[in-house]
Parts: sequence; C-alpha cells; structure tokens
Amino acid sequence: MATRRCLHALRHHAAAAVAVRHSVGRSFSALASHSGGSLSRSVLELETTPFRIGHLGASSSWRCYCSGKTPEDEGSEDEYEESEEEEGEIDEVSDGEIAAGPGLQKRDYTPEEKEAVANEIGYKVIGPLERSDRVFKPYEPVFAVVQVGSHQFKVSNRDCIFTERLKFCEVNDKIILNKVLLLGSPTQTIVGRPNVPDAAVHAVVEEHALDAKVIIFKKKRRKNYRRTKGHRQELTKLRITDIQGIEKPEIPEPKKPVKIKVKRDTDKQEKVAVPA
Amino acid sequence: MALRGVWQLQKLVVSYCNWGGSSRGIRAFMETELPAFQEKNPQLEIVPELIRGQHPHLKAFYKNKNQRVVCVKNMTPDDILLHATRLRNALGRKVVKLKTRHVTKHPSVQGTWSTALKF
Repeated sequence: MATRRCLHALRHHAAAAVAVRHSVGRSFSALASHSGGSLSRSVLELETTPFRIGHLGASSSWRCYCSGKTPEDEGSEDEYEESEEEEGEIDEVSDGEIAAGPGLQKRDYTPEEKEAVANEIGYKVIGPLERSDRVFKPYEPVFAVVQVGSHQFKVSNRDCIFTERLKFCEVNDKIILNKVLLLGSPTQTIVGRPNVPDAAVHAVVEEHALDAKVIIFKKKRRKNYRRTKGHRQELTKLRITDIQGIEKPEIPEPKKPVKIKVKRDTDKQEKVAVPA
Repeated sequence: MALRGVWQLQKLVVSYCNWGGSSRGIRAFMETELPAFQEKNPQLEIVPELIRGQHPHLKAFYKNKNQRVVCVKNMTPDDILLHATRLRNALGRKVVKLKTRHVTKHPSVQGTWSTALKF
C-alpha cells in the first residue's frame, strides 16, 4: 500500500519535474535550499537523476522518497480529523510538511542570507539601541500600514505590535520595516502600488516571548482515539518609534502666559497717607 | 525584554544541588555557559544558590515584582541556556492569551469613520 502510494507520488513528481525542468532550471535548486519541504527536495533529486524514472520496478537501489504523507493526502486527512478542534488551530495543525520540528530548522545563515531572508519578511536590523538614542518620541498623528511576514498592521508612533518571532534580531535592537503599503496623516494620504518606495517605519524590539499555551485536542467518538497536544507560539513584540516618508503636521507649542511684574509703590504711599 | 530600553529582568537565581543526578545538567551549565551568559548581560544579577536534595530550577525576578520559576531537572546545558535566554527576553507580564496583536492608545489619525460621515 505504501509502495503504491509512493509510486503514485513519484510519478506525479516526475511529471511535474519534466514539465518544469526545461523552463525553470536553476531556480528550483535555489528554492529547495530555502524551503525544507519534501516536495521540492524530491523534485530536485528527480531532476538531477532523471534516468531513475525508467528503473522503477527493477533495481533495488530505488528508494521511496515519501517517508511520511504527501501534501495531497495530508490535506484531505486533516480536513477530516479537525472536527473537534478549536477554530484557530487549523492553520497550525494542517501545516505538517514532512520537514520538521524545531531541531532541524537551525541552520547557520551567512550575513548575506540573513539580510535576504529578513528583507523578504519585511524588516531590516540596524543594530542595538544605544542609551544616547532619543528614539521614543511623543505621539505624532501619522499612521502607516506595514506588512511583516504575511500580516499587515496599521501602526502609528508609540504603539506595539506582536508579530511572529523575527529570527535575526535580539531584544533592544532597532529595526526598519520596509514593506510600507500606505502612509497617512490628517491632511495627506500616500497609497503604495503595492509598496511606497523610500518609506520606512522604525521600531524597537521589546521582547521575544511565548504565547499562552493552547491545547489541541483531537477525538473520534466511539473509535477509541484521543490526542492532546500543547502549543505555544513564539512572538516578538515591536514598539513603533518613527514613521518616515510623509510630511508630519507641526504641533504648535503651547504658549506660556507672560507674567508682567508691577512694582506696587502706589500701595505703600497710600498706607503711609492713611494713619496720618 | 526591554520596556523602552530598560531591561525588565532584575535577578536570576540559579538553584542547584551538588549531589543529585537531576542537577547534572545545571552543574555543567554553571561551569560552561553561565560565565558567558553573565558577561552578555551585565545588567542582570545572577545568584547561584545551593539547595540540597531538591530538583534544580531557575527563578526570575522582574521589575514589575513578578516571579517566574522554571524547573530544569534532567536538562542538558543547551536547554538550560535556552530557558535562561527566554526568561531574559520576556517582560514580566502574566502569560495570557493575547486579545489583539496591535496595542495602541490612538486608534485613529484621520478620524473614526461613522455612517453619518460625508467626504
């Protein structure tokens, strides 16, 4: 059964590889190095050794590349299993590609790779916050719609956003978010297509923390099947400090009341005059 | 964990036992990785404490008078370093489910929309 499923998957991958190989070429290897998914890995291996497809039934050197479930089978299974779950957990559970738990994802990135990956998510690390930096300004009535990863936030000065864990920054680091989709002030609005070029949103990393535990409970009634799994999502809290790329309205400074000192000589003269 | 540039973790108490087997990891951690951790975080006060006959744990004291205790029995030094880093990275706030991912005091810049508003 498993062999037949693997065969089917392999034929599927092979067909895709042969169709795509001519057009895509090198970009697939780049893709495979980034994502750890089994689909791209198996396709890459099939690409480099295309002659294996002919030897499927015969040689003992043929290996089944699908150690677990294929993405197609997995999608349908997960839909069936998630009858008893909370709504929010569907994304996390059905995300199971064969790749991996947290242990396998620790790779050493070169500084260029770090910057490239960070740039794709939508941020750039500047450096640690110095004590002399006056970064925390008073509130300015300017907002921006910024994208981090796959989430978008409408941010203004001095507010906090919780994003997925940003990998290459420590606590107390200064960050620039470069994917800015919209800028706004009380008088002006700048709409990006899709991004606004030369717009930057400055932020400071406040904390890297774990969210509260959610319990993923699966049950199939009358089938003696019950599973409990705990999950804590890793989050990063960013405090927005500055929005650049739009003219900010000037706040008029509050006028201090001018005190005029009057010397009261007239009173003294009056006092002298009275007892006499 | 830094609120507006100010580190929130004040004190980290490393409690261990010098006899028990569950403290083996934390004893190794104290020899190998604790000095480096201490140098990286000069603002943090790290206090080793000997508790005989009990399992080892890390106690974190935050500036909002909150305490977090993490039991590190039978853990490798790498895991203990991860837990210590997590304690340092967190604010002392209570771990509850987030209501919103965006916390702000000024929700509107151009004015809140209503059905009566006409452009």
